[in-house]
Amino acid sequence: MIIAERKPLDEIKEMVKDYRKVLNVGCGGCTSICLAGGQKEVMILNRDLKEQLLGEGYSPVLDGFVIERQCNYDFFDELDNMVGGYDAVLSMACGVGVQFMAERYPETPVFPALNTVFCGADRNIGWFEENCRTCGECVLAETGGICPVTRCAKGLFNGPCGGTRLDGTCEVDKDTPCAWYEIYHRLQAQGRLGNILTVKPPRQWQNQTRRSLVQEDYKQRYAG
Amino acid sequence: MPDVEKNTVDTAAIATMLQSKDAEMKRILNYCVRCGICAESCFLYMAHKGDPQYMPSYKVINSLGILYKKKGNVDKSFFEGIKGLVWRNCVLCHRCYCPIGIDIPRMIDFTRSICRSQGVYPDHDGGESWL
Repeated sequence: MIIAERKPLDEIKEMVKDYRKVLNVGCGGCTSICLAGGQKEVMILNRDLKEQLLGEGYSPVLDGFVIERQCNYDFFDELDNMVGGYDAVLSMACGVGVQFMAERYPETPVFPALNTVFCGADRNIGWFEENCRTCGECVLAETGGICPVTRCAKGLFNGPCGGTRLDGTCEVDKDTPCAWYEIYHRLQAQGRLGNILTVKPPRQWQNQTRRSLVQEDYKQRYAG
Repeated sequence: MPDVEKNTVDTAAIATMLQSKDAEMKRILNYCVRCGICAESCFLYMAHKGDPQYMPSYKVINSLGILYKKKGNVDKSFFEGIKGLVWRNCVLCHRCYCPIGIDIPRMIDFTRSICRSQGVYPDHDGGESWL
């Protein structure tokens, strides 16, 4: 799931303060579940923002609406009839949703109310942890299900640096386990240490350019 | 979208929303011949060993269908009652197949919108079981 967090209120205020009618649009997908951009968060942001803007002499009209997903045009129908009535749109979706919104309504300024932080797992309610950098070249099969790209502070690909502490934590942060220490012990327990005894060639770092994916079975449909 | 949580519903607002898609929604509700073919295209239905509450047609007929039948004259408990059907029982993956071509996810999306307009939506901060 995509994890996001709300931007500081001052930053959001600076984006929208010069627009009189603003529609704040929440997303019913990932940002609802990570408690950053669902219906409740739309109401809270509107309340806080309105209070701040009124206090500074502005007289905003700030409305809220939620669509089920901002990363899929199938869910934009109702919004299509609303956006024209506003001077700007604030999106409480991830960066994907904000860009989709901006593409759908090119004549309306669309602003992000959230910072998209990472692709993560739910540890507990409101507690999320990054476990994948979506690098496009998954090596988890070889590293015992522990991602060195995400979980090593230096993203090292061929074993640990010299900064592993005696207790197995990382020199960068004593609360962060050394990914390679964990990889070693997990593979050792599984009798698979051979996996990391060969030097891996340099990565392609595919995430440096914009990616798109069409699943194999659908390639013919979108060809040409 | 309401600014505050309320225990009542705005039946006039619900009726207006239903009216805005009246022809389209009524038509597709009437087209459904209850053939049940949509069921096996739903991975949630299959994962729940054929529990009818996960059948795509069941979800629509027992939420939006009732709303139309009652012309929006329902109370808050109705929306609380269908919340599980339209959120927990459907992930809006758009993979359900209808041989007649009924766009089931579109109807569930619309039902969710009506729920949201009355302040009924999933609570993700631990107040209820989500999945």
